[in-house]
Amino acid sequence: MSTPNGIYLLAAKQISVQPPLTDEWMDAPIRYREPYVQAIDPDYKRYFAPNVARRLGKILKRAMLTARLVREASGVDNPDAIITGTGLGCIESTEAFLNALARGGEELLTPTHFMQSTHNTISSLIAIDAGCKGYNSTYAHKGISLECALADAFTQLECSRIQTALVGAHDEMTPTYFTLLKRTGYLGHAPGGFSGEVALSMMLAATRSKNALCRLRGVEMAYGPANSDAPRQALTRLLQRARCSPNEIDAVMTGLSGLPANDQVYARICPELLPNKNLLRYKHLFGEAYTAPGLGMYAAAVCLYRQRIPAHLFVDHKRGEQRGVGHILCYNQLEEKNHAFILLSPCGK
Amino acid sequence: MEKLILQLKQEIIKVLNLEEVAPADIADDAPLFGEGLGLDSIDALELIVLMEKIYGIKLKDPAQGREIFKSIRVMAEYIHANRAK
Repeated sequence: MSTPNGIYLLAAKQISVQPPLTDEWMDAPIRYREPYVQAIDPDYKRYFAPNVARRLGKILKRAMLTARLVREASGVDNPDAIITGTGLGCIESTEAFLNALARGGEELLTPTHFMQSTHNTISSLIAIDAGCKGYNSTYAHKGISLECALADAFTQLECSRIQTALVGAHDEMTPTYFTLLKRTGYLGHAPGGFSGEVALSMMLAATRSKNALCRLRGVEMAYGPANSDAPRQALTRLLQRARCSPNEIDAVMTGLSGLPANDQVYARICPELLPNKNLLRYKHLFGEAYTAPGLGMYAAAVCLYRQRIPAHLFVDHKRGEQRGVGHILCYNQLEEKNHAFILLSPCGK
Repeated sequence: MEKLILQLKQEIIKVLNLEEVAPADIADDAPLFGEGLGLDSIDALELIVLMEKIYGIKLKDPAQGREIFKSIRVMAEYIHANRAK
């Protein structure tokens, strides 16, 4: 799905392993060597009354705060839709609830962890906080959860069913889940990337605002096992509908993470589908998480807004900083089965 | 009784995640719900679980909670008289 006119990304706010609620990573990113990194939380006491914050798990505080701030920054106080992508939902509360169940049986379960142990708690809490009674949905589709949420918002905006949508990407990483990923070989081994956490809220709208970050030209996903032509077809559909030539793409934001099994897929597919394009990466700064592609999109949007790609985002970092940025294509793949493309352009193009 | 009151305050602060509150901030006779700590119905459920888990007291009728959870002192007296642990 895509549209020639596009949809606007009015504002985005993140809490991650980089300094929260700022774009400091553009100039002074924090580098990590350890395999397990948790997000840097802001001082929530500045934003929430103690009686509001006390019952909320970490992921809910992060989601609620980024949503509040993005509503404020965009001037859209009451979005028509709230759509969330999350791979693991409120996994910390889920673990607490299940551990209590395993230890004490069904009779001694506390309500707070139970209430927060479902994936859709995030979207519903944001709606309650914002007083939004409109469309509310959650996509829990592992590594393409964010893209599913984005495609839903994009489709509804394109069909004029809604005018504004608050789209979120939220995931936390618990020590237990990290241990499980380590056992599978997905994280925690050298060479390899590190695990991060994601709280990203973005406001999309059918009309442009003065400070809009960029245009969202389209989202396409494809399921295609190795050697399938599905990724190529999806990319072709996206570019045709957006009336964008492959030559116009300035850079490709990839999900290169440092994990050989993951990076080999990009190394093979990118030259085939997008020959001679500058490749960018973000997971070396933000880490790995199911909804990390949301941070890739956010990083691309900030680059488009500032019309600058810092050297440290380029895979070939020796090429230096780039001034002036046209279209950026975000490409994410999961286990070479699920492929997702997001096309972003500057507001003026 | 004073020891039990202090222990109860510490448990309530922990279970209800009252980060900003110290045991000394909770008056022994102040109401727990509405005024005072301003607890709500979900907290009441948490307190029912706390009573059973830590003190072995099972409240069969949730309506009993209205009387028992009136204040820390009332709670402590009830626990002192009925505890199984």
